[in-house]
Amino acid sequence: MDTLLNVAHGFGVALLPINLLYCFIGVFIGTLVGVLPGIGPISAMSLLLPVTLSGTPESGIIMMAGIYYGSMYGGSTTSILVNIPGEAASVVTCIDGHQMAKQGRAGPALGIAAFGSFAAGTFALVALMLVAPKLASLAIAFGPAEYFSLMVLGLVVLTFLTQGSMPKALLMACIGVVLGLIGLDSITAQPRLTFGRMELIDGIGLVPVVMGLFGVAEVLLNTEQAIKRDVINTRITHLLPSKEDWKVSAGPVGRGTILGFFLGILPGGGAVVASFASYALEKRLSKSPERFGHGAIEGVAGPESANNAAAGGAFIPLMTLGIPPNVVMALLLGAFVIHGLQPGPLLITQNPGLFWGIVASMYIGNLMLLILNLPMIGMWVQLLKLPYNILFPLIILFTILGVYCSSNNVFDVHVMIAFGIIGYFMRKLGYEPAPLVLAFVLGPMMENNLRKSLILSQGDLWTFVQRPISGACLALALVLLIAPLLPSLRKKRELVALDEGA
Amino acid sequence: MGPGSAAHHYVLRCVRGTRIAMNNDTNVKLRLSNSELWGGLIGLALGGFVIWSGWRIKLGTINDPGSGYVLFYTGILMCVFAGAIIVSAVTEGGPTLASRWENVRWSKPLVLIACLTAFAFALEPLGFLLSSIPLMLLLLRLIDPVRWTLAVPIAVLVPSGMWWVLKRLLLIQLPSGLFGIG
Repeated sequence: MDTLLNVAHGFGVALLPINLLYCFIGVFIGTLVGVLPGIGPISAMSLLLPVTLSGTPESGIIMMAGIYYGSMYGGSTTSILVNIPGEAASVVTCIDGHQMAKQGRAGPALGIAAFGSFAAGTFALVALMLVAPKLASLAIAFGPAEYFSLMVLGLVVLTFLTQGSMPKALLMACIGVVLGLIGLDSITAQPRLTFGRMELIDGIGLVPVVMGLFGVAEVLLNTEQAIKRDVINTRITHLLPSKEDWKVSAGPVGRGTILGFFLGILPGGGAVVASFASYALEKRLSKSPERFGHGAIEGVAGPESANNAAAGGAFIPLMTLGIPPNVVMALLLGAFVIHGLQPGPLLITQNPGLFWGIVASMYIGNLMLLILNLPMIGMWVQLLKLPYNILFPLIILFTILGVYCSSNNVFDVHVMIAFGIIGYFMRKLGYEPAPLVLAFVLGPMMENNLRKSLILSQGDLWTFVQRPISGACLALALVLLIAPLLPSLRKKRELVALDEGA
Repeated sequence: MGPGSAAHHYVLRCVRGTRIAMNNDTNVKLRLSNSELWGGLIGLALGGFVIWSGWRIKLGTINDPGSGYVLFYTGILMCVFAGAIIVSAVTEGGPTLASRWENVRWSKPLVLIACLTAFAFALEPLGFLLSSIPLMLLLLRLIDPVRWTLAVPIAVLVPSGMWWVLKRLLLIQLPSGLFGIG
């Protein structure tokens, strides 16, 4: 009963005209960046992070969340019609989705992707409503040792899943922690790594770092090659899948939804892993696996449902524990912090309007996405023809303005350009920026919790092992750290390695 | 997961460019051109610097960790991971620095970096409008040339429009520079 009352309260917040507008802007931009290859939700969210300052916390966070799950919808359009994934979570959709389009079945492929995404998104929201308050009440009992170990696990999982060698990903995570510690020490107020510059006393901002590493560096990488697109030109019809299509797809949608939701909750996981796992599962369960890769609708239905369910599931650790499980959620945490809010176990009780408002807006956003992605598919197809030589300079200009507006400080523009150049060279040398950004956000929290735990336990390191949740997290992290040393596990890791930035 | 992996490679090739090609490049081991070696050495130097910084700030004790405690141990971890990268670079080899930029239009990002660096230096003295209009024009003409009749209006109208929206509607003051323009 309480949940229903809370949901009603949430809808009251989400249905305010201003929040509806922000929700629409979010899902529209999300679909846009999902459709456009080369620009992912991370770039778009970092670009729009400063915009959240202009409105209420609800509006800003509703918009940011909309960009994330909206991009999951939009990504499938490009995968199916152009055979280039709009964002990383839609990589597997290319395989069967584009084959279906080539066989003249682009409509059912797009339709099942949209309906599967809607079903998965709805399930994830209901599960979020039920699971989050319970987990939050449990999390109140968490001490600094548990928080520290959970954050360590999150970082290790992300480095495990990041493309390239694990030492490189771990080095990136360490650099992220160090960058996060720049500025005044929160306990002793001693300046650290500020080099005597006043601009660094408050530390480096998340906005310039992320915009540089994901926005500017992305553009630099994309200019290296002329991006060619071969858009399917046939008229898209039969967006409503047939009875036969539904019959075949129901199982994959259900399995993808459940699998995606649980993978989304896990720290370091997310939509990309979920979509790959769902594809593998459907292929394994299929009576005719040879159809996969040649236009099997299950190969679209499963992964598309999984990535949307994972997008919903990823909100749970952020909202209940205050720990972002991936870079996108780290950006969302940034949006919370900008408004002076701290997501965590107390958020639901102290700010019920905000929590339930966001959840309700996600449901409304899912409905908006269904309308945006089916009847208006023609508009997105036209957008795929937008020239990149105009788009990239505009992105650069918007990143500059975005960074400047977030702090009214030219120094941040310099930081962004510096990180853009560093990010470009990092990626050329095979160093992925995702662990750096997550560690940058988690670093100060990790340090705080580590120091608190050591003070409370009077320097007894066993406290991290003796407490069950903390011990379990550290044990799992250790297993993942050792795993790449075993050749068979190393191969498996390479297969699921993900590219966060796309 | 085979086809998945293939698709993953596909997107990297299409959107990112070069990294897949690198797998087939000639590996070099103990040579200065080994890019992996350079990556590891830079990491090692950074790790050393972080250890020194942590030490200088004061470590404290394990009962009462000081401001440099986490920095110091993070620096040690950085050196360990950088060491692993170096060992792998020497034993398994790595692609040469030049091969990282093979078969791509390396001059395009270089031009973009030069433009952005110049912009960074020009923004404060020249102001937003006088620095961003030339930046846009350069980017539009130098990356994949847009025809002049389109490039000039975009380069002038978009920054001016953004400046107007920010200054007049949102009351955000952009840098106006020494000449007070903007």
